[in-house]
Amino acid sequence: MNEPAVILLIEDEIQIRRFVRSALEDEGHQVLECGTLKPSMAHVHAAKPQLAILDLGLPDGDGIDFIRELHTHSEMPVLVLSARSSEGDKIRALDAGADDYLTKPFSIGELLARVRALLRRNKAAPAELMFRFGEVAVDLVQRLVTRNGDVVHLTPIEYRLLCAMLANVGKVMTYRHLLRAVWGNSHIESNHYLRIYVSHLRQKLENDPTQPKHFLTETGVGYRFNI
Amino acid sequence: MTAIPPEPRSINSSLIWAIAACLLVTLPLLPLHNYLDPANIAMLYLLAVTMVAVQAGKRAAILAACLNVVLLDFFFIQPRFSFAIGDVQYGVTLAVMLAVALIISKLTTGLQSQATDAIERERQSRALYELASKLAGATSLEQMAAATRNFLHRSQGCRGVLLVRRSDMLQPVEPEHHLDSELQSAAAYTAMQLAQVRNLLEGNQYWMFLPLHGSTYVRGVLAIDFSATPQATINARQALYAAVASLAAIAVERLHFVEVAQRVQLQMTDERLRSAILAALSHDIRTPLTAIYGMADTLALMQLPQPARDSAEAMREQALWLNSMVENLLDMAKLNAGSIRLNQEWQPVEEVIGASIKLLGAALEHHPVKVMLPPDFPLLKFDAVLMERVLCNLLENAAKYSPPDIPVSVNAQLAGDKAKISVCDSGPGFPPDKLDKVFELFERGDTESSVPGVGLGLAICRSIVEAHGGKIHASNRDGACVTFTLPLDTPPVIETEDDE
Repeated sequence: MNEPAVILLIEDEIQIRRFVRSALEDEGHQVLECGTLKPSMAHVHAAKPQLAILDLGLPDGDGIDFIRELHTHSEMPVLVLSARSSEGDKIRALDAGADDYLTKPFSIGELLARVRALLRRNKAAPAELMFRFGEVAVDLVQRLVTRNGDVVHLTPIEYRLLCAMLANVGKVMTYRHLLRAVWGNSHIESNHYLRIYVSHLRQKLENDPTQPKHFLTETGVGYRFNI
Repeated sequence: MTAIPPEPRSINSSLIWAIAACLLVTLPLLPLHNYLDPANIAMLYLLAVTMVAVQAGKRAAILAACLNVVLLDFFFIQPRFSFAIGDVQYGVTLAVMLAVALIISKLTTGLQSQATDAIERERQSRALYELASKLAGATSLEQMAAATRNFLHRSQGCRGVLLVRRSDMLQPVEPEHHLDSELQSAAAYTAMQLAQVRNLLEGNQYWMFLPLHGSTYVRGVLAIDFSATPQATINARQALYAAVASLAAIAVERLHFVEVAQRVQLQMTDERLRSAILAALSHDIRTPLTAIYGMADTLALMQLPQPARDSAEAMREQALWLNSMVENLLDMAKLNAGSIRLNQEWQPVEEVIGASIKLLGAALEHHPVKVMLPPDFPLLKFDAVLMERVLCNLLENAAKYSPPDIPVSVNAQLAGDKAKISVCDSGPGFPPDKLDKVFELFERGDTESSVPGVGLGLAICRSIVEAHGGKIHASNRDGACVTFTLPLDTPPVIETEDDE
């Protein structure tokens, strides 16, 4: 179980605030509620919350501007609540610095899992050098990937992509983010390159590449890597 | 504005006029012959010749000159009432009179024709000006076509037909004023294609086809029927016809841009309204749904007595189902309104299959999904979010309508220039009589079915697949199968990586 944290909840719908609050409080967290963006920044300065949960469709402004402003002086992770079929908004929020998103309607289980992942990552843990998922073990020091003990051969790009994903476990990574991390700025519009290399990684590291357990697709947005 | 060209005096009448003038000069002089010197009498005759030349033209003036010399000699030169040999010297008088007659009549004719030309030119330019102002004020193609036609008819005496370009065809603006033959239509089309003036002689008909040059392309053709116009007039007025054509071209182009601007304006208002309504609707429905779902979920997680917990779980399921119905409805509304822009990208199809299976999660927990995909299946170009909706709807249907623990299969294969993707279950299948209808809006396989649904899911699938240029159909083959196709096209080339 996580240590209790202070969480800022910015959502204009009171009923949604109510159940999100109760779920978070059951986990032992302290929740600061805001119905609009205006008082939120004051809360950020006063209470120094460890996490913000932000609805993108607020009546008094663009949540994306809030994320940008927040990240000028704070490393606080932001979890965005948004509607389906607004992939553009999700990508903009993520590229502006949001860390994850939840599509409405969402279950308590999903919400708590995301919150846990974000809080865990926020604790400045020393960079891990060994990863294990499924039958796969990755040793970043020796640059060695094994599956069931057998060495898996990855091309340099595949390995770079795997590292980029391992650096953001549990977090949504937009196409743009991954393309920049692996190819630099040269292929920034070539989403299909990324898709092909993710598919290579799935072929090599997933039990059933068509129903992946670790290299997950966030349709229209990007990828998420789960241990 | 009807113009009647000045009636030329007929030859006969001008000759009579000349004879009359000569007699008129002679008669009053007869009693005065004793008082006047023959030289002065000759001067009076010269005056008469001048007058005749001014008034009656060259022929009459020559006649008057000859007649006057004869009359002078006969009545006033000694011996009177005879033509004597010594009168030969009056040949000089005759020559002078003839010269005066010719010079004066020529000058007069020139001046007259210049004056006529000037009047005619002024008339033409006034007519052209009137046409220009009418065209500038025209608010429809019909109005401007009528103005052009009236101008040609009234001031040029010829028939005009205005044709405009519509999707690479030429159509008369006014249906009742059209070209008469295939040959004419072909010539008009050539004029448009080549952007050059074409002339056509057909029987006794003579047509000219003037292209209407717009800023980017030829916007139409002005056809003029010159059958009733003399060739000299046509030649003289080429510049005028070109001016008419360019005035008409400006008017057609102006009207075109007005129409485009209006259409865009209307479309924008329409689209703004529609997306505002859809956005408001989706927000206002989704917000309470999120709250209901979240609260039901909260309840279901609590330590409640079994019946209460079952209710909470049922509420959660129902909210989820309601949500998927709302999504379908909103998607359908967007697709029908044509306001959906496909965000097509090249991608492996297994990715969207995997994402759909993951997204459905709990709904598929009693139905293992088997994905069959040949190795090296090519990339396909589609909108991932919409294709996910198609696959989710199909998988959800398969799970809904087949008994638990029955596997569902997703199968992708190549068929010619298409990719074929099918989602099949081994359930009871579609009612055979409704196989063709299941994709229609609000159509359900079994209307009395206990399985919830309003018949939207498959209709959406069809709209999305067709928007991608594919086809979808249902079949019963060891259960229910829905197969859709996507065009293959040529995927982008992927640079291969230099392996270390």
